[in-house]
Amino acid sequence: MKLKKFLALAIASVLVFALVACGNSGANDTATTNGGAETDTNGDAVAEEPTVEPGTEGTLEFWTMFTGADGVNMQAIVDAFNATNPDFTVNHRAMEANDLYMNLPLAIQSGQGIPDIAMNHVERIPVFQENGFLTDLSPMLAANGINPEDYIQKAWDMTSIGGGHYGIPLDVHSFVLYVNMDLYEEFGNGELDDDLLTWDEIFAAAPALEEAGLMAFPITWSRAIFLSMYGQLGGTLSTDGINPDFNNDAAVQVLDVWQELYNNGWSSREGDSAWEMFLGGQAMFTPEGIWMYNNVREAGMNVRMLNFPVFDVNRPGNWTSSHQFVVPTDENREEARYAAIFEFINFVGENALEWAEAGQAPAQISIRESAAFMDMPQAFLTEENAGLLIYDYKFYGYAVEALDGIFDDVRFGRMTPQEGLDRAVQQARDSIEVGGGF
Amino acid sequence: MSKFKTKITPYLFIAPHVILFIAFFLIPTVFGIYASFTRWNIFSDPEWIGLDNYRLILLNYESTFHRQFWNGLRNTIVFVIITVPFQIIIPLLIASLLYLKPRARNFFQAVFYLPTLLSITSVTLTWIFIFNRSLGLWNRLLGVDVNWYGQQPFAWMTIVITTLWWVIGTNMIIYVAALNGVDRSVLEAGSVDGAGGLRRFWHIMLPSIKMPVMYTVVTSIIMQFNIFGQPLMLTEGGPSESTFVLLMYIRNLAFGTGNPIAGPASAMATALGLVIGVVSVGQLIVVRKAGEGD
Amino acid sequence: MEMKKYKAKKRKSEKAASWIAFAVLLVLGIIFLIPFLWIMITSFKVDIEIHQAGGFLLFPQTWTLDNLAHIIDPNNMQLPVFRWFLNSMLISGIHTILAVVIFSMSAYAYAKMNFKGKHVIFLSMLFLSSFPAIVNIIPLYRIMLTLGWLNGPLALIFPGLSGVFNIFLIRQFMYGIPNELMESARIDGASELKTFARIVLPLCKPILTVVGLFSFTGNWNDFLWPSIAINNLDRLTLTAGLQLARGVYTTSPARMSAVAVIAIIPMVIIFLFAQRYFVKGVSLSSGVKG
Repeated sequence: MKLKKFLALAIASVLVFALVACGNSGANDTATTNGGAETDTNGDAVAEEPTVEPGTEGTLEFWTMFTGADGVNMQAIVDAFNATNPDFTVNHRAMEANDLYMNLPLAIQSGQGIPDIAMNHVERIPVFQENGFLTDLSPMLAANGINPEDYIQKAWDMTSIGGGHYGIPLDVHSFVLYVNMDLYEEFGNGELDDDLLTWDEIFAAAPALEEAGLMAFPITWSRAIFLSMYGQLGGTLSTDGINPDFNNDAAVQVLDVWQELYNNGWSSREGDSAWEMFLGGQAMFTPEGIWMYNNVREAGMNVRMLNFPVFDVNRPGNWTSSHQFVVPTDENREEARYAAIFEFINFVGENALEWAEAGQAPAQISIRESAAFMDMPQAFLTEENAGLLIYDYKFYGYAVEALDGIFDDVRFGRMTPQEGLDRAVQQARDSIEVGGGF
Repeated sequence: MSKFKTKITPYLFIAPHVILFIAFFLIPTVFGIYASFTRWNIFSDPEWIGLDNYRLILLNYESTFHRQFWNGLRNTIVFVIITVPFQIIIPLLIASLLYLKPRARNFFQAVFYLPTLLSITSVTLTWIFIFNRSLGLWNRLLGVDVNWYGQQPFAWMTIVITTLWWVIGTNMIIYVAALNGVDRSVLEAGSVDGAGGLRRFWHIMLPSIKMPVMYTVVTSIIMQFNIFGQPLMLTEGGPSESTFVLLMYIRNLAFGTGNPIAGPASAMATALGLVIGVVSVGQLIVVRKAGEGD
Repeated sequence: MEMKKYKAKKRKSEKAASWIAFAVLLVLGIIFLIPFLWIMITSFKVDIEIHQAGGFLLFPQTWTLDNLAHIIDPNNMQLPVFRWFLNSMLISGIHTILAVVIFSMSAYAYAKMNFKGKHVIFLSMLFLSSFPAIVNIIPLYRIMLTLGWLNGPLALIFPGLSGVFNIFLIRQFMYGIPNELMESARIDGASELKTFARIVLPLCKPILTVVGLFSFTGNWNDFLWPSIAINNLDRLTLTAGLQLARGVYTTSPARMSAVAVIAIIPMVIIFLFAQRYFVKGVSLSSGVKG
């Protein structure tokens, strides 16, 4: 009786789902880009096979953190690659960044289920390298047609560690300034000719905006905003590369600006949804990542992306990170796979325009200089090679975690900048001391 | 033969569960306790350091981990103290109202029980927009501008309200069942005596369901000591870490930064486990004593 | 005459009380339903319209099914919700059946049999189970690895079967079953297994429904462990997958609400089926009789 009920329920719910799903798929989309995977996913719910048809030699496992809109673009590139009938097809698995950084070491350590290729943020690579999680690619580069000069130097250099090389850059993604141009015409000061705004200009426009019930500069992602401003002032998280010492005057200066913005009512209050305010046309300037551009486009707004605001026009800087291909250590990987890995990496590089469609800025110079990329709104970043602020610090994770904990308290006046920074430095030091087995 | 068989049979009945318990709970737990005596980054082998982690979190006033442990423990206990009384009283109230056989009784019961079936993700997703400062329903309906997540006491209020919405169904259903088990004539005898509603509730109804109520006190306290998802997803521990509960610190240390600090995290977890264990065993003894007194 | 008058009076006051109860419950019930209604309404809104309205819209300007459709779209390779749903049904279903069988067997032994170490075993398991499981995840991962269960359904079906609380519930219920029933069966020569299966289990139907529901929802709602144990998007469970979707739609209230709605609907359906047994099940299980 009970079992019968349960089955009835199971069938009923499956039917409900199937009906809704079918009704929708008919209306929505007939041309699915993914060939093999579709037929494969239907039958057994927990089949053991990978979701792509293996090539003649097998399948490469490829882990990324592209779970958002950018995941669609990456999947399209992977599908295009698999459509060329390579010896090894690629099985793309997207997971949340935190899960990826947890699962990757666990897999490597266990020796089982190690992916052939993974995407890493550049900040992670020094730590993973030190633990022996990553394959040194330097002996293989030339033979597989990878030339360091083809990539943005900054992104490339960061993964050259101790004479080896551990990452192939896919992109550099920066934190920039979005400007609502409709508001700018009304409240801004003059032509926006140089892609660069100073804090003075932002402060000058703020009072009028406030009077009109609008906001000058909501704070979205504190960490990236801090690192952009602090980097412009020449700040580093650690002078000697080991001990965190970011509780200095430059950092205080950055937080003073935040407090000034907030105290004058020119910045978002605690609990405000900053990015939504910008999308709703209530904010003139808003800092966000270039990867958020799709949001703006969907909202149909008249928006420009500029460099992050500067203290001094001669010292621009946008906090930047880079997605890089890495090859996790696997002693049992057959030699043949390495060639296939590079074949795939090269293919993605050649098709990086598709990746740029997601709002990202490819790391390959040839793509960055192509006409198609130059038409994209994030293209202004190519001229600012010097302004890409990439933080290269082994204990970056501890430092930013500690900083994340104090930003709000400082911004809303519950701590002075110095108190907050001292506490964060203390926390980062304690973390390194106790946990820094790395 | 037969004697041997009767002797061995009970063990065969409990064997499947005991094996699963050992494999998937005991061994991991013992390992977790072991890890609390080590320096361990999860990816390498743990290195024995004796009581250092405990000294660090319990006694070292300079250390961030000491601050985090005590702050987390204090916040957890504050949450338990605020939440548990409501978690008992509100379901009792609802159950006694349902006992009066109002219209649509089953419908109400279902409504109050439904949220307990949801995952913490669904629960916080459901509430996050209600309390959101600029997008939220609450501020707009009331015409106020309260910063629910970033200001005390509102931050605790949002967490407690969300929690109560999520969990009161469980206790409610237990009280409903218990009241159904009580002889109605006992309660009606009270009304013949002219006892008022409140007094009747206090002197007749409550004593007759004493055991289930005490039982729910025990389970509710244990449950709320494990508070984690609500502050994580609603307030993110703010403002000024005043809603940062111990399990959040533990998780951050173990999984937060990509450079795990699993030793102190395990020590904190073990300490919390001991606190919960002692509290629950103490309560079970009290409940047992009370049961014998009847 | 006196009695009649009294009865009439009593009926009247009872009626009044039940109406007051109804009124109070109605208010409380509406408060309880508001969050549900709010996310349902929000899931029909258009995100851009919400933003343009300054972040708040009581009702949608345009009613749209796009958000819900987008979440469950089978061609949505990033969020294969339909696939996750099937995975979850299978995993939670098997988990529940095993849970009911294993837990009830154990509870029977603890409640109705005498053996050495009975109390010690049960109470120490109960005590140990109060340890927070959060740091156990890494050792558990290792164990799964040794068993070769990672990235497969077994890793999600079995760990939850180590719980003790549900055994406690069933045990309490079984205390309420008179021993004479079993004695007579034993005298008739039935084995323990037969006594258990034929006599005790059928009487336990209500509490088994409750434990089944607890097990099903507990397994269905877990997201931390599946996201560690499963690396393949296609093999995730619905809850873990929707947690992922939540990360994708942080700036999109309507899409996020649609995620919540999709997560809630299966639970509502399941509950409507199980509700009948529910009160009955709990009534004898929670130590009502002391």
